[in-house]
Amino acid sequence: MSVTVRETINFTIDGKPASAPEGTIILEATQKYGFEVTNLCYNRKLKPFAACRTCMVEVRENGKKELVYSCTHPVSEGMEIIIHTEETDRYNSANIEMLLVEHPLDCPICDKSGVCPLQDNTELLELQKPRFEIQRRNEPSIKTNPLIEFYLNRCIVCGLCVRACDEIQGVQALEFHQRGMKSGIGTANDEPLDCEFCGQCITVCPTGALMDMSSSARGLAALFTNTNTTCSYCSWGCTVQLETKKGNLVRITGDETPDVGINEGNLCAKGRFGHGIVHNGERIQSPLINQGGDFKEIGWDEAIEMIAQRAKTTINRSGAQSVAGLASEKLTNEENYLFQKLFRKNYGSNQINNLQNLQAPYVNDFMLNCFENGIESKPVTELDKADVVLIFNSDLPSEYPVGGNSVRKGAIFTGTRVIFANPRDMRFDHEGRIDIRLVYHQDADFMLANRLCRILIDENLVDTAKVQEQIPNFNDFVAALAPYTADATKKATGLTNEQLKRTASQLAEKADRAILIGNDVLDTGKGQETLNALLNLSILLHTGGEGSVSIYPPREHCNSQGVNDMGATPQYLPGFRPVSDTATLNTLTELWDAESLKLEQENLADNLFENCINGKIKFLHIAGEDPVTSYKSRATVEQAFETVPFLVVQDIYMSETARKADLVLPTATFAEKEGTVTNMTRHVQKVVPAIPVQGKSKSDLEIFHNLAQAFGAPFKSKSALDVQEEIRQAVPAYKDVLPATYDQWKPTGVTAKPAFQICSYQELKASKREFSMKLLTNNHMFHIGSYTHYSKALVDIGPDCYAEINPKDAKKSSLENGDTLLVESSQANLKVQMKINPAIPAGMVYIPKNWPEVPVNALRNGEDGTVHVKISKAE
Amino acid sequence: MADTDQAVEEEIDIAPTQKILDELPEKSRRYLIPALQKIQGVYRYLPAPAMELVMMDIGISKAQLYGVISFFPKFLIEEPGKYIINLCYGTACFVKGAEIIVDKIHECYKIKPGQTDESKLFTLQTASCLGNCGAAPMAIIGEDTHGTIDPEKSLELLGEYKL
Repeated sequence: MSVTVRETINFTIDGKPASAPEGTIILEATQKYGFEVTNLCYNRKLKPFAACRTCMVEVRENGKKELVYSCTHPVSEGMEIIIHTEETDRYNSANIEMLLVEHPLDCPICDKSGVCPLQDNTELLELQKPRFEIQRRNEPSIKTNPLIEFYLNRCIVCGLCVRACDEIQGVQALEFHQRGMKSGIGTANDEPLDCEFCGQCITVCPTGALMDMSSSARGLAALFTNTNTTCSYCSWGCTVQLETKKGNLVRITGDETPDVGINEGNLCAKGRFGHGIVHNGERIQSPLINQGGDFKEIGWDEAIEMIAQRAKTTINRSGAQSVAGLASEKLTNEENYLFQKLFRKNYGSNQINNLQNLQAPYVNDFMLNCFENGIESKPVTELDKADVVLIFNSDLPSEYPVGGNSVRKGAIFTGTRVIFANPRDMRFDHEGRIDIRLVYHQDADFMLANRLCRILIDENLVDTAKVQEQIPNFNDFVAALAPYTADATKKATGLTNEQLKRTASQLAEKADRAILIGNDVLDTGKGQETLNALLNLSILLHTGGEGSVSIYPPREHCNSQGVNDMGATPQYLPGFRPVSDTATLNTLTELWDAESLKLEQENLADNLFENCINGKIKFLHIAGEDPVTSYKSRATVEQAFETVPFLVVQDIYMSETARKADLVLPTATFAEKEGTVTNMTRHVQKVVPAIPVQGKSKSDLEIFHNLAQAFGAPFKSKSALDVQEEIRQAVPAYKDVLPATYDQWKPTGVTAKPAFQICSYQELKASKREFSMKLLTNNHMFHIGSYTHYSKALVDIGPDCYAEINPKDAKKSSLENGDTLLVESSQANLKVQMKINPAIPAGMVYIPKNWPEVPVNALRNGEDGTVHVKISKAE
Repeated sequence: MADTDQAVEEEIDIAPTQKILDELPEKSRRYLIPALQKIQGVYRYLPAPAMELVMMDIGISKAQLYGVISFFPKFLIEEPGKYIINLCYGTACFVKGAEIIVDKIHECYKIKPGQTDESKLFTLQTASCLGNCGAAPMAIIGEDTHGTIDPEKSLELLGEYKL
């Protein structure tokens, strides 16, 4: 927080001088200096609680001695802190001895054995010989939910799980029940746990009372091999700890060690329980060739040779631009870099793209415009110190669950004010609750953002004179904002001007602000207009306001940012340099040992699938993507795959896309590969192999190396580290962040070009009378991409697809919970079970997009923007 | 649980609960316990549909609400019998045979402390001390206080209470 600066306090610990910011509690200060103070209920992410009474220390102030609990008592100037005196040890020991009376002491079969604070403290205080008679509890373990086992005999009622569930996750599914001797943790009336299944309670539990049932591993976790790597699901980029035993991945946990990763050990259901995709019999076992619909196993050499030959013949016959590649938002930077290098250098083709750039190329422009306006955005590790967070059209608990954890921490420790704008009335509970909740009409995102800009200017909430002086097209911008009147906005969004004025004033105050944008804005058909309006809003605050603005582009998958950074786009070379940029081309020619790079060709990759249909693209290589289910228009992709003469797909599972391929190559999961991925806030983080590549699969990196060799021009690089070295030279912004730690890359060589991005005013399209409802589709809380359905644990908690509608719409069409809904668009129809949810506004049908049997992307009627549908009860 | 919920839902009028909640000075957790007391005053227990309303209006989760309820034995989540037997289990009453009374009640009505008999006549509760040790063993049945109960004759005493 920039606004208030905390003073530094000086004190001593066991006679050694120390200092810490004002308000720091003693326990935190002593830990920082490497002292060990016993404690069982303290966690730096949670509010002090003082339940276990085992962290007593002696302090002396002005000669006066006092015994205090170090987890709640702040340091003060001149304080002398003495830990482990005879007296404090006696008090602390007594409390731990009491816990040991009831504790089962079943350490050999306990998950936490070796990493157990109760064991550590017992040893620290030398309590091996019990003074009291042991009275073990012997209650059966509770396994009423699919993932989290409650073995409460080990519970020491420290409350860490209850507090994590409330303060970190905002779910409050766990609470203390009963009182006195009987008190314990649990759900209401011992009902089965029904929550977000983030599993934070498992991470914080100090004694193994809560266990991960998705893993068969029980006991001696200390003997597992731990590998920290980056999660492969959403774009938040959490560090996960992979626990392996004898070469098998047995479990995923969060690593709460300070300064590890950007997530402080917080994980979501997908990250923690989604490891079922790794050891799975349904993975593609060998390269496969499609012989009239039947897939036959072939050898690797044969497969690689076939692709290289096919590429050569296609290039000779139809020109280099007829071979195209689809890079992946889920592969590493190194792999995507090599993939575009294979196309640009070896094949001489610039026809390379990725699904985000294909569907929303303006997201990259938005990011570059931010840089040109001097808005670099802070590292996301600072999010919990922001004063104001605007969550713009993102259902945070589903989309970026761990982002939600940071915002909640900010609300507790920094007093972050939260503005939550979403067409759905979604839950986002935290300490301070939501300060301003804006529930607006679907698709009106750009109206809302533009109206906020106009209020900032009209009400002089920002220094408009300064903005006018610094941004050349200010006057044009003001003129373009004219249509965004209070009335027009009220009509389009349903929000009153008072609500928006309050929002604008909150944003305008001197503050560190963060804006988190959800991927839903990209589906509105006004994605570009919305992002530009939010950019303009940020420019106004950045230039005319005090404090800072951080704004992050919406990205969906673990490497949606990196795949673009690596230049897997037809318009940009690595590092976002235009493909026509001679200087960069010269650098790359030299770096790649190429004769020359002739990349000025017709841009076919911008309409990749259409150009497959019209015959311009004759060879398509898809690396780790499943456009049949994830591209906005399913029919286009299916038609493209019918037409394109040669389709090669490399993936982990036989996706709908792989089923259409001529040749399929099995690849490795994130747990088996090395490299880096870049999250949505541009942190470049390591992917570290925890287990060898499984079966006959090969990593994507190895496949690209093999292909280059088979094509007759092998790459000089051999390993991921070699490729990283090359990336450092090819992508200037990556020079300082590789080899990767957890740092954010900073834009380099950007020419400042302050300008508002002005879009013309457009009326919202009214629904067509026949298709009067609007579809909203995005990732389910427990699913993302096309792999999570192979993870048993995630299927157990998110088994079925449900469409959700408002009670009014349900009543209108005489629909009830559990009915099967027929959803029709002008293009296609589908059947899906439904439930009624008052959080969904009237007129909206929400269907998660992750179930292959509910192909939501088939409903799109060919045009951009929101899909209009009608609903009825299926016969 | 699901079955009883539904059975209850049909007969409960939640309007009084709404009125109690609407009359709170502020819809916050600070007023949860007084609100629960008033609601129990209306229904004699805390019916599930009324609790749904409390969760929504006061803005707390089910676990948190039932955490508070389970802390206070006075709060009941199931409909009690016509008469609540509040049997003193303090030291004096215990020595003078409160345990025997519990056994007798169990024999006859098949209920243990915390339970309600099938005919919904009695709910048995125990108290740590009712403050009348001189008259041990003692119990409060419905509104009536009974002191110096002869444990052997406790069933005769209960027999006077009819549905």
